[in-house]
Amino acid sequence: MSSAARIHWRSFKWAAWLGWEMDSNWTEPWLFMVYSVIKPIAGAFILVLMYTVFALIGQFRDPDLFSYIYVGNAFFIFVGNTLFGTFQVIQSDREWYQTLRYTYISPISYYTYIVGRAASKVAVAALAVVITLAFGALALGVRFEINLAQLPIFAAAFVLGLFCLVSIGICLAGISFMTAKHTHGLAEGIPGIFYVFCGVLFPLTALPEWAQSVGRGIPLTYWFDLTRRLLLPPNTISTGLGFFNDYEILALLLASSLIFFLMSIGIFKLGEFLARRAGKIDMTTSY
Amino acid sequence: MSTATATSRIPHRVKLNLQAIVGRAYPRVIGANREPSWIFFEAILPLLGIAAYVFIYKALATRALGVILTPTPSAPYGMCGPNPCVDAAQQALFQANSIANTNALIATVVLGGAMVAFWLNVLWSMASQLYWEKEIGNLQLYMMAPMSRMALLGGMAIGGMFMTSVRAITTLVVGILVFTVTLQLGNPLLLLGVFFVTLIALYGMGMMLASLYLLWGREAFNLSALLEEPIFFSSGFYFPVGGFARFGTVGGAMLAFATAIPATLGLDAMRQIIVPGSPSLPIPIPWSQGAYLTPDLEFGLLLVLAVMFLFLARYTLAYLEKLARREGRLTSRHQ
Amino acid sequence: MDFAIETKDLLRIFKPSRKLFKRKNPNGNGAPEGPVTALENVTTQIREGELFGLLGPNGAGKTTLIKILCTLLLPTAGHAYVAGYDVAKDPFPIREKINMVSGGETSGYGLLTTRENIWMFSQFYGVPSKVAKARIDELFKTFGLWDKRDAKVRTLSSGQRQKMNMVRGFVTDPEILFLDEPTLGLDVNASRVIRDYVMGWVRRQKGKTILLTTHYMMEADEMCDRIAIIDHGRILACDTPENLRRGIRKDTTFRLEVDTLKSTSMFTGMRGVKNFSAKNDIANNTTSLTFILEDESPVSDILSSIQSQGSKIHYLQKSEPTLEDVFISMVGRGLE
Repeated sequence: MSSAARIHWRSFKWAAWLGWEMDSNWTEPWLFMVYSVIKPIAGAFILVLMYTVFALIGQFRDPDLFSYIYVGNAFFIFVGNTLFGTFQVIQSDREWYQTLRYTYISPISYYTYIVGRAASKVAVAALAVVITLAFGALALGVRFEINLAQLPIFAAAFVLGLFCLVSIGICLAGISFMTAKHTHGLAEGIPGIFYVFCGVLFPLTALPEWAQSVGRGIPLTYWFDLTRRLLLPPNTISTGLGFFNDYEILALLLASSLIFFLMSIGIFKLGEFLARRAGKIDMTTSY
Repeated sequence: MSTATATSRIPHRVKLNLQAIVGRAYPRVIGANREPSWIFFEAILPLLGIAAYVFIYKALATRALGVILTPTPSAPYGMCGPNPCVDAAQQALFQANSIANTNALIATVVLGGAMVAFWLNVLWSMASQLYWEKEIGNLQLYMMAPMSRMALLGGMAIGGMFMTSVRAITTLVVGILVFTVTLQLGNPLLLLGVFFVTLIALYGMGMMLASLYLLWGREAFNLSALLEEPIFFSSGFYFPVGGFARFGTVGGAMLAFATAIPATLGLDAMRQIIVPGSPSLPIPIPWSQGAYLTPDLEFGLLLVLAVMFLFLARYTLAYLEKLARREGRLTSRHQ
Repeated sequence: MDFAIETKDLLRIFKPSRKLFKRKNPNGNGAPEGPVTALENVTTQIREGELFGLLGPNGAGKTTLIKILCTLLLPTAGHAYVAGYDVAKDPFPIREKINMVSGGETSGYGLLTTRENIWMFSQFYGVPSKVAKARIDELFKTFGLWDKRDAKVRTLSSGQRQKMNMVRGFVTDPEILFLDEPTLGLDVNASRVIRDYVMGWVRRQKGKTILLTTHYMMEADEMCDRIAIIDHGRILACDTPENLRRGIRKDTTFRLEVDTLKSTSMFTGMRGVKNFSAKNDIANNTTSLTFILEDESPVSDILSSIQSQGSKIHYLQKSEPTLEDVFISMVGRGLE
């Protein structure tokens, strides 16, 4: 292993260990697991109730759209956890634990360190997604239709989706270098961008034309669309991406993910540079 | 101390506590506004999450309208619910109802989105605050100062309400304008009353939680995180909470639990007052039957909750401060 | 006589804290955490108008005592009175009369200016806003912070931050001020400014009392009217610096500098040696030794022991006892 690779591996390994310890060591592992799935399940329940209320009042049932919403929301757990797992590292280490300055000056790759810190959140998200999907299938009548021949394409899309999410998270981490403590606004607001523009909970066609164009520029739109295509039976929903076949969507996902990866390096380096210049690397906000 | 001395000290204590309230509210009001990025992160970005919920109702409504308005061989006047419409008049009525329902539900989301700001503020800037103050070394200075601890919490609450009002008003105004929500203002006095009593009860609850969190270390952060989505859900921030009643005993139990959270009653009352149209699904009493909690009754219940939470906050804090002094937890950091 | 501070048989035991959720491996080895006695039978009286010092190594119980007196911590047993009030039963009247400053504290809100921060704290004590602002300006000038009056707290250096903390302590014009290592980590000039102001403040005005804890012998010697030496939660001696020194004047104090010693255990229990301290200087490869002896007779034994380790003696000096020697005599080691 080259020395650069060794540094990246060391950075990732210890950051992943640290992330897991920080996330989980306040309680017993089983309680941590319960805690980790209650939040996303409650989030799914909100949508179930929204749909139920609409169906009751309007006397109109729409199982296709419900499945669309439910699966989109389940996979969105990855978005929330991965993004929060990456950009909050800077804010929590800087403001809360006040260890950022020491980690930052150590001989590691700080970029890789952040990726490592997010790893435990991605792992926990995976568990929550599986539980949410299983609950949907067993208790809420969400019908899945998985073609085994399409598993490789599903796996490729899954890996690319996570890769893209981490890249976006790193972009935000770069911005976090320069901003005050806004963990909650960020945690709530940034996923909101993807919630709205990527057709997560409703088809892209529900948005105005300009917003649909924004959505088509974000790789996650393709990730959610492809994931749903591979998991759900054919339906009557017009997603606005129907003219692409699965492979074209995968290619679009790959291309846009690479662009975001390069952007993440640029934005992260820029944020780091500006923060050092402004003396904000180890600032604390508190009010 | 003699009665006369005690009486003469009352204005002194009142003045001291008022000064303390202003002193503690000050950093929140001034400090937050000194960081301009705050407006973007705390007021603008959260609008997107709310927009997503609005678009869910819009998407559902678009498809429902499509079914109502699209003639088929078996339903030449479209579908009116599960059955074909009998004529154009029934079809038009269903269409009008569908549009009104969608407006009501979108208004529900916008109103809920505005109140979410207060709930998050209560969780993160009230409940967890004393723990955070301990971490940065302020708590011991507060605790050895002579003002009432309720004045400290009151200052935090007032500062927090002020900060959060910016976000809530932004959400409300942008939501109404962008999503063209129609509202009515039948009883402005009751609306204001419900709103302020809801805030008092909510922040009273925050004060009580702040005291409890004083005992906990890092668990406090996790507990606050845990209380976000489940409360959005159980208090019906994005849907009329009366919908729970359709889920039998489980829904009834959920409603019973949710009514102890001031946001549930406050939101339900405000929706009933300002959202026009029939389908507001207010909280039924008993849970599975036809009678509903009226805004007046909800206002009364909120008053009770407000008094109860402030009372509990006062005594919980006094008790837990003593406990924390005994166990040495007022100053130990990073537990 | 009225005492500003009085403690009687004060005992403080820390028990392991209870947690809401059980945490895995609470202390790393799975063994239960045991209670720790931080203060044991501490009885002392501090007179009104006194600048009283508390001298002790880390973990001696100084901060615990201050926390009890500041109403932040309850004693496990015994009594403590501040301004005549019981800390356990009447904390509120005490709080109106006291303030506290700790060295290295990071309190305050980063987004506020230094003046705003101090003003905020003054409001918790009911100081009228105008009076507070005038006092803040005056104190900022005294402590050399005037240029930083509108700077945000997060931009201050640690020295400036400590000066700001001092201003916070004085702005409420307390009757009793607790200073817990107030010059910790400060440079010589900053420490000088603080020491001079503290001494002037307590002596200039009638009825002001200060309880000071410090690591620095010179500081305690220079500033304090009386000093209590505390170790392992017990007060070992309490008197004026001069009387404390006089107490061991009948003893003989020797200082030596030798090549680094592998062991100093042979001095323990040596006939005629009342106590000693040893400090290694790694850079110069030397060991500095201070001996408190009953008389001069053990000197030859000490020198033989040193030479038996093959260590060379750089210098040997008989000297007048300092406060540090008093400390060594009682605690059996130096402060650092």
